[in-house]
This record gives sequence, structure tokens and C-alpha cells, in this order.
Amino acid sequence: MDIQRGNIIVMDRRRGKLRAGQGLLQGLKVVWDHWIGSFRKNENFSQIHGTFTIEYPDERMKLPQAYRNMPVLIYDDETGHELCTACYQCARACPPEVIHITQAKDPNTGKMVPASLEFIIEYDACMSCGLCAEACPFDAIKMDHFFELATDDRMGLLQRKADLNRPISYYTTIAPDLWDEVKEGAMKKLQGSIKRRPGVIGIAGHLSDKIAARRRELEAEAAAAPPAPADAAPAAPAGKLSPEEKAAKLAAMRAAKAGGAAPAAEAPAPAPELSPADAKAAKLAAIKAANAAKKAAEASAAEAPAAPVDEKAAKLAAIRAANAAKAAAAEAPAAPVDEKAAKLAAIRAANAAKAAAAEAPAAPVDEKAAKLAAIRAANAAKKKSE
Amino acid sequence: MLKTEELQINIGPQHPSTHGVFRMIVTVDGETITDLKPVFGYLHRNHEQIAEVNTYLQNMPYTDRLDYFNSMANNHAYALAVEKLVGIEVPERAEYLRVLMVELTRILNHAGALGFLINDMGAWQTQLAFGMREREKILDLFESASGARLMCNYFRFGGVARDLPPDFMPRLKDLLIAMPAFVDEMERLLRENEILLQRSENIGILPKEVAISYSVTGPMLRASGVPYDIRKAEPYSIYDRFDFDVPIGAVGDVYDRILVRIEEMRQSKRIIEQIIQQLPDAQGGHINPKARQNVRPPAGDVYARVETPKGELGFYLVSDGSLKPYRYKVRAPSFINLTPLGDMCRGYKVADVVVILGSIDIVMGEVDR
Amino acid sequence: MYDVINHLINTVFGLGWPSWAISLIAYLLVATILFLVAPFQMLFLTYFERRAIAQMQDRIGPNRVGPQGLFQPVADGVKMFTKEDIVPDAADKWVHLIGPCVVVAPTMFMFAVLPWGPGMVPLDMNIGLLFFFAISSVSAVGLMASGWASNNKFALLGAMRAVAQMVSYEIPAVLSLLAIVLVTGSLSIVDLIHQQAGLFISSADVPGIPDLGLGWFVFTPVGFLAFIAFFIAALAEGERTPFDIPEADSEIVAGYMTEYSGMKFGLFYLAQYVLNFLLCAITAIIFFGGWQGPGVGWLYAQAITPTNPDGNGLFNVLAGMLGVFYFLAKTYFFFFVMVWVRGAYARLRIDQLMDFGWKFLIPLTLVNVISAAIWVGLTKWGAAEGLAFVEGWAPLMRWGVAFVITLLLNIAAYIFLARVYSQAQDERARLDNEVLERLTNVA
Repeated sequence: MDIQRGNIIVMDRRRGKLRAGQGLLQGLKVVWDHWIGSFRKNENFSQIHGTFTIEYPDERMKLPQAYRNMPVLIYDDETGHELCTACYQCARACPPEVIHITQAKDPNTGKMVPASLEFIIEYDACMSCGLCAEACPFDAIKMDHFFELATDDRMGLLQRKADLNRPISYYTTIAPDLWDEVKEGAMKKLQGSIKRRPGVIGIAGHLSDKIAARRRELEAEAAAAPPAPADAAPAAPAGKLSPEEKAAKLAAMRAAKAGGAAPAAEAPAPAPELSPADAKAAKLAAIKAANAAKKAAEASAAEAPAAPVDEKAAKLAAIRAANAAKAAAAEAPAAPVDEKAAKLAAIRAANAAKAAAAEAPAAPVDEKAAKLAAIRAANAAKKKSE
Repeated sequence: MLKTEELQINIGPQHPSTHGVFRMIVTVDGETITDLKPVFGYLHRNHEQIAEVNTYLQNMPYTDRLDYFNSMANNHAYALAVEKLVGIEVPERAEYLRVLMVELTRILNHAGALGFLINDMGAWQTQLAFGMREREKILDLFESASGARLMCNYFRFGGVARDLPPDFMPRLKDLLIAMPAFVDEMERLLRENEILLQRSENIGILPKEVAISYSVTGPMLRASGVPYDIRKAEPYSIYDRFDFDVPIGAVGDVYDRILVRIEEMRQSKRIIEQIIQQLPDAQGGHINPKARQNVRPPAGDVYARVETPKGELGFYLVSDGSLKPYRYKVRAPSFINLTPLGDMCRGYKVADVVVILGSIDIVMGEVDR
Repeated sequence: MYDVINHLINTVFGLGWPSWAISLIAYLLVATILFLVAPFQMLFLTYFERRAIAQMQDRIGPNRVGPQGLFQPVADGVKMFTKEDIVPDAADKWVHLIGPCVVVAPTMFMFAVLPWGPGMVPLDMNIGLLFFFAISSVSAVGLMASGWASNNKFALLGAMRAVAQMVSYEIPAVLSLLAIVLVTGSLSIVDLIHQQAGLFISSADVPGIPDLGLGWFVFTPVGFLAFIAFFIAALAEGERTPFDIPEADSEIVAGYMTEYSGMKFGLFYLAQYVLNFLLCAITAIIFFGGWQGPGVGWLYAQAITPTNPDGNGLFNVLAGMLGVFYFLAKTYFFFFVMVWVRGAYARLRIDQLMDFGWKFLIPLTLVNVISAAIWVGLTKWGAAEGLAFVEGWAPLMRWGVAFVITLLLNIAAYIFLARVYSQAQDERARLDNEVLERLTNVA
């Protein structure tokens, strides 16, 4: 038979004819050479003599960067945000299906947020194949190098997000070149994710100081946010917008485009889609407004709601007052026929109330003063709508 | 006339020398074997059924675990099968990397297999320790390239997962200095050794026609005198660009298999040297950027085979157009090579069974899947 | 030892104890020392073997327990002691218990005739060599008893194989020693060592050779061939690779040691290592001069000996130390060679093993005996008919002629027998093929 680019070699079975022990002596010589050479260490790959043992655990081999053993999640050191957006690609890619993800939701609106609520990997079944790390579009799950995982507690190998989180600084110590290749894209995507995460969702759970700092930031933003004007498209406040605010802003812009005049009572503008949760909240707000209006119409100023000491209650009170004013003033043609416009109106009234409160000489800090401010706001709104 | 009784002995499944959980029911007459029945299935892990529940990419790590000694070769066969089915092209550089990894696997398999065989013959792990040392070097190279030593999961559809790290080539070149020294030393230790000759010459003869009729492949077939190597007979990947020889044996006994494996290590080294020469000029990247890993192959079937160090590994995939294979069958070389064990052992002594089994070079992960 | 004790008790302390008491004390002391020495040798040998074979395989042996792992044998001993002693139900309990003891006890006896230094032999028997090998054969009985008592047919098979191996390799061992005994004319081990003074030529053969303690028997062709045959036979006696069928874990059974655990297994282990030590020691003594070496003879000549009662006690000590050092160095060197062989070679099959012993070694040793006869005739005798011409030659000339003749004879015999043996093995392999065909045709 003929083959290309090579020969067929028939192995030569024996070189010498006389078998009187020469082969045995050669074998002895080979082993002797190894014995003599074993008194020093084998240094590099080109040597075949020398002791090859690395005395673990006193000496350890340096692991290559690409080494993979068990995945971990990484988070950004500065902001504390996890890179994971719970996109579920790793769980889809995992062959033994050991990744279990729950996506986080915004507690206010109930919408999904690009962050994970819980992230479970069963380390005892994970085969360290690395397909999850390859599949992740956000470079959030990476392969760790830690292999001394032996334990007698099987359930302890069920790793939750708190066990899996590692800072980027840790990952750059084990695989700097691999991180350098993907650093830019990952950080850009992280910024995008951060923008879409409300509150403190997405910050690694154990960074309590970062969480506290973030909360303080958000409070400061809310307190310092400039109130939007009652009509015209509200200027976008610096900082995050909640979904409701966004919807309100969009509706306002559309209403302004459609040439609407008075904000409170025009025909319902084609407002953007609100999620069912938002619609419910809007309906609730409308109902509350109606009740409050009823109450305000009957009651005197003494029935003004108890003074709130934080901004939310103040807002609500203002909304109620504004709605009461609206209802009181309105045999107005359009009671809002859909909940969105009602919400919008409520928001506008609240802003108006805020503005009115801002015009007030001092922030009311006690009950009576708050009541007074509420009444004043109601009157102002009434006057405006007349 | 004296009549002796026949005795049935059970070798295995727990036995230090059966290369895994493997059982042999041996019928002996005195010290001579009259019949041998292999019993396997102790390591059955339902690989083919699991493959039907996984997507094509998810199957890649599972193929590592078939022949756990040579994970790169298994990956290669599976990647070839899926690429044939879908029609993905592989860039040149990726092909070179693939062949490099497979040839390194061949060296490490033969070093280990010969070590285990000599250990079974009683040489108390000396050759095994030397073989393991060379294996360790190659496994370190695999670790730096793919991330894991044994379960490499390195091949993807359209190329390989990752390109070589910068410290790979210098270490590979160092290794190629050690490799001829290691093989020559092994030959000096083994070739003329009278005790080894007594234990392996004319033991376990498998004649040519019998080998062909049993569908034996790999070094066993070549030791029996049939010059059949898939890399030459039906070149896949870029094997048609390399010069290498095909060693065959004359008699087909255990000694011939040892000699053939030693020579194959030399030929693999030759191929690796040619790869190192030609790699810098290779076009393309380490993977085809247009290849989707979540493949959805058109309905149809394909059979792809490679020459692994143990023989011909073939994958028969049937696709019904969905993301998961409809039927996934593995033609495992160790399984087929094990079938003539009874014929090969008949007439020899009991102490030869372990030696003959070691010379077939099986790995139970493949046999039982 | 008797003299030393006598001197100590009667002369130094002035107690007038009777001589039987002195003897008793002396022998008790010697026995105690020996019973302490033997296990310590064995412990050290196990450690030495594991380290040496590890280094031959490019790895480090035990190095954790104690400095450089020196306490590893202690850990092994503790393990052996504390393992559960399992006796099969249907086994013969008493024989199961006594079997290992019968295997170990003779090896302790063999220490009695071993000289460690000049004048340092526990028991100077004039048939020391015969005693040595006769006692070692008793272990075979213990082996058989152990295999039988396990009530396990595979253990019995293994025991029978082991006994066959031991018995059949005693023959070439003893025959090769027979050649040496022919040459020296004495069975006493102490005599054998004394005859190895000289310088590459034994001063017993050629008087007038300066005594540098290097007139070893291995430097003669008869001695060299005897040494090779004896060493291979010693490997087989001590059940070491390439003859370690009973230890093989790639055979179906673990041999006669299958049903033993705990300290009984420890006793087998002890017996094997002690026997190996003794065989290495006897090799060193008979072929390499034992405690003979440069300086010992000179030191001993000035010491207190029965022939020189006015010597200086210090020289006894010095000669003794130097002698023991040479002796142990040679013994450990041979043990290293045993470990070296273990690292390099595969194992022979049982039938190949028996073939090798009966069909190669025994003819070789028989030829060696003939060479020894020629040697003796040429160097020592002469007054016989037809050999009287030899009497006129100088001793060195006689020695030279004997050397050349025996060298040629031995080399020719070795090559011829090797060729015959390998041809026989080839035919044997082909015979297996015929059996194969016959059986497969029948089947």
C-alpha cells in the first residue's frame, strides 16, 4: 500500500542476536542515570533527569491565567455594583444546569431590573467547563482559580450570591491579561446597567458602607431635585428618574406637543404605556384623590391630614389637596377618563403644591404649619384652576 | 488418562491492573487459559442519552470525559462531526492549533500507556513514573492553553476556544528537546531487556485477518501488520500537509505493540516540529468568527472519525433540525479493540492476561460510555 | 564476647563468678543485641528502599515523618501493630498464628553465625555456612503452613508457588557456594573471611601478597561467576524483583499473604526484609571479604586476640569499628543493587522463573564447580598423577594459569548456556502457539 508524504516502517524486532544479558545492563544504566540525576531538581521542560516533585503544600505551582475551576461573580470595586444583569445566558449555557438565577425587581414599580436578586451555583455538580464564562455578554461571571474546596459539608457547596461575589481587583490578580482584553466593554456595559438600577439594587450585598452611601446619595438627590413647572414639559431632573416619573415626563412632552393648555384638565393625551403596576397605582391615586376631595370639600381646614415629617407623606398630602382642589373646582369637562392622565394630573398638582410650599417662607416643621401649608396649596390650586 | 478440571476465575472488577472497572471471567485448565469472557458496563454513565438532552455546544465538555486520557482527541472528533453537519469552515491557524493539541495528546497517551503496561509486567512503576513526568509537562501546556489539564474543553465549532498564551511556545520548544531523549531512553530500557522480551514476545498474537475481521483499529491494527492510519487513508483537518511515517509490526504480539507505540511517539514529535515551523504563516484566527456556537443544524446525519491514540473514534450524529441532537452515537475504539480479547488470550498463561490487556490500551470511560 | 565479659566481671570487678554464669551472661547479651539489631536493620532497610526507588523514579520518597522521613518505618510499624487482626472463620487458627512465626524465626537464627568484624561473631561454628543455609530452608515450611491455614485455594496456590520458587533457587545458591567451599576447603564463615586477605589475589593462594584486605573471591573467575549466580539466586530466595511473584498485585492473588493482616502481615514483611539483609550480608562476606578491607588486618594484628594476648584493647575497638563499617557498607551496597534491580526490571512469569532457575542457573553453577575443581587442582594440590609438573612452578605462575583456564571455561559456558536457554524460550513461545491452535480447534 502506498501512502502520501511518508513511509511505512516495519518495526525491527531485535538488533542483537545474542541475548546474554546486555539489555539488562542497559536497563540498569538508564535507572542509574536517573538516580544520580535525582539529587537536584528538574528545572525546565527540556530536562528528563532530576527530581520532578513539587512538595505541595509547602511549594505550589503557579497556575496559568487561563486556569478554570469553579465560576465566581465579579463586582466593581469603586461603585460596588455587580456586573451581572441576570440575563440568564450562563444558566442556558451550563451543561449540568447548576446555575439558578432570580432577577431583581424594583420594589416600587415591580419592574425587572438588570441585576440579580439571588444567584445560586451548585459547586458540587459544577464541572468547571467554563461555558458560562464564555457565554456571559457582560463579563460578569468568570472562572476562579481556587481549588482547595474539599469539605465534608455537602450543602455548604451550594454557593449563593454572597459567596460568589469577588471584586474586580481580585480577578485582576489571578487573570490580568484576560481582564485587560474585556475591560473596556465590560465597564461600559456596567455603566449602562447602573443607570437602570433603582435604589441600591445591584450593589454587592456585603458592602454595607457603599449601600449606605448610595442611599444617602439618593436621598440628597430627591431632596435637591428642582420641582418641575406645572405646565410645559418638565425639565429632566439630574439623577435617576423613577419609571413613573419617566412616564409622566413622556406624557407631559406628548401633551405639550399636542398643544395642550392647562395641564390638569385636558383631553387624555396618548400617554406611553404604563405597566399594570403603574396603572394600578394611578387608579389608586385617582380614587384617593376623589376621596380626599370629598373630605376636603366637607371638612374644614382642621381636617387637613396630619403633618408628615418626610417628603413622601408631604407629597401625598399635597396630591390629595390638589386633587381636592381640582375636584372642587371642576365641574370641569374632563374628569380624567383614563388613569394615566389622572396620575399625570396628580403629579402636576403635587409639583404645584411643592412649588407653593417652596414659596412659603419656611418649611413647616410642625403639624399646624403643615396643615396651613396644605390649605394654602389647595387654595392656590383652586385659584389657578378658576 | 489424567483429566484435569477446568476452573473459572474472576479477575476484577476491582483489580489494580484492569485499567478501570473491568471484569474478566477466565476459564483455566491448570495454568493455561481456555476461555475468556470480558464483562464491562461498570462505568456506564449514560453519555449518549445525556447528549440527546443537551445542545450541541453543551455536549462538548461531556466528550472530554469519554476517553478521559485524551480529551483533546475526543473534542476533535465531535467538533469535526458537527462542523460537517452544519458546514462550518475552520480557519488555518485554528487547524494548526488543533493538530498540535492532538499530537501532543498522542505523545502523552503512549507515554502513559506504555508506562502502565510495563507496570503490569511488574517493573514497579519506573517507566510509569518517567512517562507520567512527560505527561505532566504536556498537561501543563494544556493547562496554560485551555484552562484545565485533563478535561480540556478546548475545541469549538469553527476552531478552538482560545489562542495560545505567550509562554506556550518556549515551553513547547523545551519539551521537544526532552522528547527524543525520553523516547530513546525508553527504548534503551525496554527494547533489548531480556525479561521484557520473555514477557512480551509471541504473547497475545493477533493475526492480520483476525484483526481486520474484528474491526480493530489504531496501534493494535498496525502492530498486526496492516498499514492503516486514518490520517493517511482519509486525511482530515490538515494532516495532508505533514510528513510522517506509519510504523507497523511484523507479528502482532505485545512486543510489536510496544515498538509501534514508541515509534508513533517519534512520528508525533516530527509532526509537532513541522507545526512549529508552519504556524507563524497560518492565516486566520483561532476560531471562525462567523460560526455560531448555538448551532441548529439542518436535518440529516453525519459520521466523522479521527485517529485517536487508541484507534478510530467516530461520532455518528443525527439531527432533526433542532438545537439538540436526535441521535448521538460514539464508536469507541477501546470498546471495539476489546472484543478480540478472548481470542488473543486463549492458550496463554494466566499471568499473560494482564499483559495482553495492557497492550490493547483501553480506557473504561470509552468502553462503557 | 565471653572474654570481654570475663575480663570485665572477674578482673575489673573482682567478682569470682563461675564460667557458666559468664557464658550465660555473654550469650544473653549477644542475643539481646542481635534481636535489637535485626528489626532496626529491617526498619532502616524499608526506609532506604523507598527513598532509593523513589529517587530512581525522579521523585522524592517519604520525607515527612521526622527529619528527612527517618521515622517513616516507625509509622509503618505503628500501622502494622494497630491494624485489626482478621482470621478467616474456617481457617486453622493455630497454624494461622504460628505460620508467620515459623517464617520469621529462622531469619533471626541466621544472625548467629554472621561475623560483623574481626573477632566479632556471636557463634564461631566450624560449619557456619551449612548452618546458615540449612536454617533458611525452614522458612519454606512456614510459608506452606501459612498458605494452607488460610483455607483459601488461591492462597494455597500462591503458597505452593512461593515454596517452589524458594526451594528451587536454593540449589543454585548452594552450588555456587559449593564452588567457593571447594576452593577454600572450609565451611566456617570466619575462615572464609580470613582467607580473603591479600591484594586481588588471596594470600591463601599465593603467600607473600601484602595484606590489604582486598583478596576477595570475586576477583577470581570462579568467584565471579559464583557471585553472579548466587546474587540472582538470592534475589529469588528473598522474593525480590524480578522474582517477586508472591508480592505481585497484577497476579490474580496476593499469594500466601492474602489472608493475613495486622502484625502477622508485619511479621511476613519483617521476615522478607531481614532475609534480604542476610543474603546481602552473606554475599558481602563470601565474595567481597566481609569485614576485610584496607587497614583492618593491620589494626587487628595489634589487638588482643587469642594468638596475641598482650595486645592493646584500643586496637580491638578500632579494628572492630573499621571492620563493621566495611561490612555494613558492602551489605548496604548490595541492598542498593537489589533496589536498583527492582527499579529497572519487569517480573518473570512463574514458569519462566522456574525455567530460569533449573535450566540456566543450575547448569551454570555445575560448570562453575568444575572450574573450581580445576582451580584447586592447579593452585593447591599437585601431588596427584599427571599434575606433578605443576609443583615446580612458582605460586604466582600457577595462579595465573588457573586464572586463565577458569576464565575461559566460565565465559564459554555462560555464552553457550545463554544461547541454549534463549532458544529454548523461543521454542517454548511457539509451543504455546501450537497449544493455542489445538485448543481453539477443539473449541
